[in-house]
Amino acid sequence: MADKLTQLQDAVDQLAHQFVASLWYVHKHHDLKKLNEADKILEDKKENEIPDVDKLDPYPEADFKAGQLELARDLIVKEQQIEYLISVLPGLENSEKDQEQLIRQLEEELKEAEVRRQQAVKEKEVVLAKLESVIRSVKRP
Amino acid sequence: MAEQSQQSALGATFPAPPPFWQAFTPENVDRIAQLRAAQAGEAESTSSDTKPIRVLDLPSELRFLQPPEPPADGVWNCFGGRYFLTEPIPTLAEAGVEQLYTPPATPTGKHVDRALILKRLAKSLLLNFLELVGIMSVDPSQNTEKIQDLRTIFINFHHLLNEYRPHQARESLILMMQDQLDRSRAETEGIMRMKEKVEGILEGLGEAKLPESDDTKMDGTDAMEEDIGKGIWDELEKEFS
Repeated sequence: MADKLTQLQDAVDQLAHQFVASLWYVHKHHDLKKLNEADKILEDKKENEIPDVDKLDPYPEADFKAGQLELARDLIVKEQQIEYLISVLPGLENSEKDQEQLIRQLEEELKEAEVRRQQAVKEKEVVLAKLESVIRSVKRP
Repeated sequence: MAEQSQQSALGATFPAPPPFWQAFTPENVDRIAQLRAAQAGEAESTSSDTKPIRVLDLPSELRFLQPPEPPADGVWNCFGGRYFLTEPIPTLAEAGVEQLYTPPATPTGKHVDRALILKRLAKSLLLNFLELVGIMSVDPSQNTEKIQDLRTIFINFHHLLNEYRPHQARESLILMMQDQLDRSRAETEGIMRMKEKVEGILEGLGEAKLPESDDTKMDGTDAMEEDIGKGIWDELEKEFS
């Protein structure tokens, strides 16, 4: 999993995509309105046929509204996610100096722990050898 | 032989690693460490910088173990591209983008205000998008200005995040070190526990064994030995059950 900063950047980019997608949805699936009773909705003729992507594809009003609602809700959710990610960014309360100090301290502790571990491994080997010699000296009943 | 490998290297899908990796044998690494230590001892008073010590007059097989000097002019090439050693993030002003926030305090300061700015920017994004939709519904041709605003906010947001990167990198390092420390400690503890257990068994064995050495010396009967052996195995079983 990516670190939180990358997640945040991704989320912001996704928000931008959602902006575009929302506009595109409205642009593509809105219904046509008659301004006047006498108006007629013209069918596209063969000769001025427009490419598929630009063609209007009206949804029934209920579906269209539902889609709008979902997109709007997603936008809010994404924004909430972004705010949450901002609030959990690591080390907001640490200054650079604190970090440096912490790193140095950890380095020391690591060295110490490593020495202790080595020592423990050595002791373990000694004990193991002792155990082995004892086991070898024992005859199976 | 060398030519042959060169040819196959040219034909390979992925290039082979540079040939000098072969110089990095454990012996060579040890030797250069010794040489460096010697050099450090000599020049202890003079060199106080953090760069690795440069050893002069290296034997030829060790020459590859010494990293080359960084380019003096601060520029390096890779696959025909020119790169700079230190590449500061261009400021927003340099990138020709309006800065929407007062820059957070100096890098040594805390970053809480940074989070606040980010949250404000995120809210502005939504608000500006709402305005954009409103404008579009009235007059779609008037979109450019609002889209420009959105763009500025996005760039500001990303800029702020990128500035935060080094901080995050250090923070991750701290986490990793903490992890390693915990692991190392747990391992040591595990070994110690095991050792204690084994020692406990050995002690138990010692008690069972004592009579053995005494008695076997005295009468040396097989039956007796068997008995003691059984005792030891019982002891072992008890420990491991």
